[in-house]
Amino acid sequence: MKSLVSIIDYGMGNLYSIKCALDEVGINSIITRDSTTIKNSQAIIIPGVGSFSNAMKKMKFLKIDNVIMQHHFKKKIIFGICLGMQLLFEKSYEGKTTNGLGILKGNVLKFKTNKVYKKNFNVGWKKIEIENRNKNSLLSKKDNYMYFIHSFHVKPSDNKIITSKSTFNGQKFVSSIKNGHVYGFQFHPEKSSKIGLDVYKCLKKILNK
Amino acid sequence: MIRIIPKLDIKNENLVKGIHLEGLRALGDPEYFAENYYLNGADELIYHDVVASLYDRTSTLPLIEKTSKKTFVPLIVGGGIKNLKQIEKILKSGADRIFINTAAINNNKFVKNIITEFGASTLVVSVEIVKNKKDYYCRKDFGREETDIEFISWCKNLQDIGVVELLVTSIDKDGTGEGFDLDIAEKLQKFIEIDYILNGGFSKLDHFLNVLNICKPSGFAIGSALHYNVLNHKINSNKFDGNFEFLKTKKRFNNFSKLSIQDIKKFLNKKKSIEFRKI
Amino acid sequence: MKIFYNLPKKIEFCSKCVLSNQVPASIPEYLHKPSREGAKYLKLKKNSSGKNICSACEVNEMKKKINWKDREKDLIKILDKYRSKNNDYDCVVPGSGGKDSVYAAHILKYKYGMNPLTVTWPPILYTDYGYENFKNWIEIGGFDNISFKQNGNVIKTLTKLSIENLLHPFQSFILGQKNIGAKIAAKFKIPLVFYGEPDAEYNSPISEFTAIRDHKYWLGSNSKKYYLAGIPINDLIKKHKLKYSDLKPYLPIEKKEMNNVDVKVYQLGYFLKWVPQEAYYYSVEHTNFKARPFRTQGTYSKYNSIDDKIDDLHYYTTYIKFGIGRATYDCSQEIRNNHITRDEGLKLVSKFDGEFPDKYLDEVLDHIGLKKDKFLKLIDKFRSPHLWQKKGKKWQLRKRVFD
Repeated sequence: MKSLVSIIDYGMGNLYSIKCALDEVGINSIITRDSTTIKNSQAIIIPGVGSFSNAMKKMKFLKIDNVIMQHHFKKKIIFGICLGMQLLFEKSYEGKTTNGLGILKGNVLKFKTNKVYKKNFNVGWKKIEIENRNKNSLLSKKDNYMYFIHSFHVKPSDNKIITSKSTFNGQKFVSSIKNGHVYGFQFHPEKSSKIGLDVYKCLKKILNK
Repeated sequence: MIRIIPKLDIKNENLVKGIHLEGLRALGDPEYFAENYYLNGADELIYHDVVASLYDRTSTLPLIEKTSKKTFVPLIVGGGIKNLKQIEKILKSGADRIFINTAAINNNKFVKNIITEFGASTLVVSVEIVKNKKDYYCRKDFGREETDIEFISWCKNLQDIGVVELLVTSIDKDGTGEGFDLDIAEKLQKFIEIDYILNGGFSKLDHFLNVLNICKPSGFAIGSALHYNVLNHKINSNKFDGNFEFLKTKKRFNNFSKLSIQDIKKFLNKKKSIEFRKI
Repeated sequence: MKIFYNLPKKIEFCSKCVLSNQVPASIPEYLHKPSREGAKYLKLKKNSSGKNICSACEVNEMKKKINWKDREKDLIKILDKYRSKNNDYDCVVPGSGGKDSVYAAHILKYKYGMNPLTVTWPPILYTDYGYENFKNWIEIGGFDNISFKQNGNVIKTLTKLSIENLLHPFQSFILGQKNIGAKIAAKFKIPLVFYGEPDAEYNSPISEFTAIRDHKYWLGSNSKKYYLAGIPINDLIKKHKLKYSDLKPYLPIEKKEMNNVDVKVYQLGYFLKWVPQEAYYYSVEHTNFKARPFRTQGTYSKYNSIDDKIDDLHYYTTYIKFGIGRATYDCSQEIRNNHITRDEGLKLVSKFDGEFPDKYLDEVLDHIGLKKDKFLKLIDKFRSPHLWQKKGKKWQLRKRVFD
């Protein structure tokens, strides 16, 4: 049976681009918010662009947070992209403190600015440095440029889940993680050209096992 | 790293390119150009619907979808965007960011609303300016309507509201190949802290050096210099309305010499040690 | 209900472009009387599906079947005959540095190897960018040029009178622009004159889409029957302190003044496919031509007829007299060239046609010595009742193409 990936539609994120990327590498996928469809999928992708609190509000309203948790308890693959990765963590300190899904231990923080580093939005292509190379993180062994667009970053409690880091405003931050069946990418693999598509190609390999 | 961003002006289903934001000479199918640019290392793409405000319509949604299937780099879409619903549709079709110009000038609050609803990083504000004596003034409606809004004060205003990036177009230089406007570069360097993409006038590699000696833009938007090199004089027989004379006669536009995105990146790397992504 | 200017009573529109049957055909301006008796207007015919097609669109259909290679061969034959063998000028190209004269002069010189003398009857009031374009035409394009700067008093008087009698601010410009080519040709013994696109591109009857421009525009026959500003010449001289010699530049050349030169006035647009928008691109590429830095009032474009501050007013008066504004003219040309669809044209006409030209109006009226309030009152006298009705305080066209 062909593997099915559900791209979770809770009202935020570049769903269509993700689907196009999955189509390009030959992964069967569907954009959906239907709990039955999501239950029956082999993997879920949590997209997201925008505000953490907005996203949690929408997820809770659609009861999608529950569906994701069930998927997580069954140890099925979760793939969080950008805000989608951030939502996997415990808390975000964006204005008011908001609780995330809590699937991963750690928090979400805003980039610090000072007199030298005034910008707080990381937008554009940045190099990532692979960490914990022995882990199967879906990243190629090469350090490479990926496309970022965010102003918050994650701080996991356990450094061992970090699979790559990048630099912004003179600070290093976590650009991707892997914890068992949970993968997270701060950058957008579907917008990072061929190198980004390779991440999805690796996902395909995993799904086919 | 400085992004190299091909800018595609769109009318109906054609890639068009004017001069001074005027004239709608058709150059071919936008998706053909977009795919070519993606495969050759474009860091981002801009689609600008240049008649959306003129005819009060947004027709680019099918084009954005088509493009999303073949190009896997960020896509910024703009032209005639006036409300949040349009933005939602455009993002749903596969665009990553949107830009506005006229709507921002007409209503500051709209800028704030977009930032609140979609996040500041989703928005680019496009500033299209014309020189008048020593200062530059903003235009609305794709260069058609004058305003008395001075360029830098407008940019500072946008900066204060929380805009993260600007797309700054010199209407005087657009489509001429005369080089970027260096006075604009100087003003941006002196007064503006947020990111800005420079647009208008590029044709020779040295034009980059002239700018980089003055300021550091987050990106360069390029139109004619790339389009005239990529076009293949094919006319899609289904698309009969548009100024196809140039394509029919298979001419060359001599203001623009042979140049590719890789040429640009290698040059910047060699002369200014600017890193670039390998394709 | 009164109908002015001999206009057709029933207002009808072309189903292909946006022109109506109220569009005036060109007439030699030195025969222009205020009543416009005998004037012709754009003909509409019913085609096989019963829809109205104007003669400009008909000409356009014919244009699609033209073999341009053959036409070019015809042009080359003519040029070969006249091309100078002793470094003299071999053709006259009248123009003011707009995109069409740039294209005409440049292509004759650099593609076809001719030696043109450009000749300019300057606009009444050059716009800054229009004047820059004129200079660039000469300096970057590389041409010799003779400019005939008109006696300021005379042109102001004539312009003022033509507004008062005909609501036609452009007449003094049109008169000189149409006759100067032949006059210079005769004086300098250069028989060949080339104008750019044929009038038929815009609004003249089919018969004028010819290689040779109708000589009635530049060759006069009976000076006793001339009118300027809608006034018979003799009255003009008696009542307005003007001499016949003052008026001569505005009048056509007479046969006896032609020095026995067999002047031939051609329309280059007969031989070379004329696409106004492409002429714009061509002139930018070759002479750094610059479009107007803002939208032209009354229309949507920035590159057409931008060198004279009186241009905007001219099109406003065609809107008043005939219900045809600048957007209508521009749209119909672009529809015929397939650049825009008729639907797009309708939107543009509804958006821009008849826009009041306040950008340069004060300056123009000041220049010619006409008071603004007098001018504003004057306008209403030229609205034909069959075209216009008053709704409250506002004037509205009874029938509009986009209704």
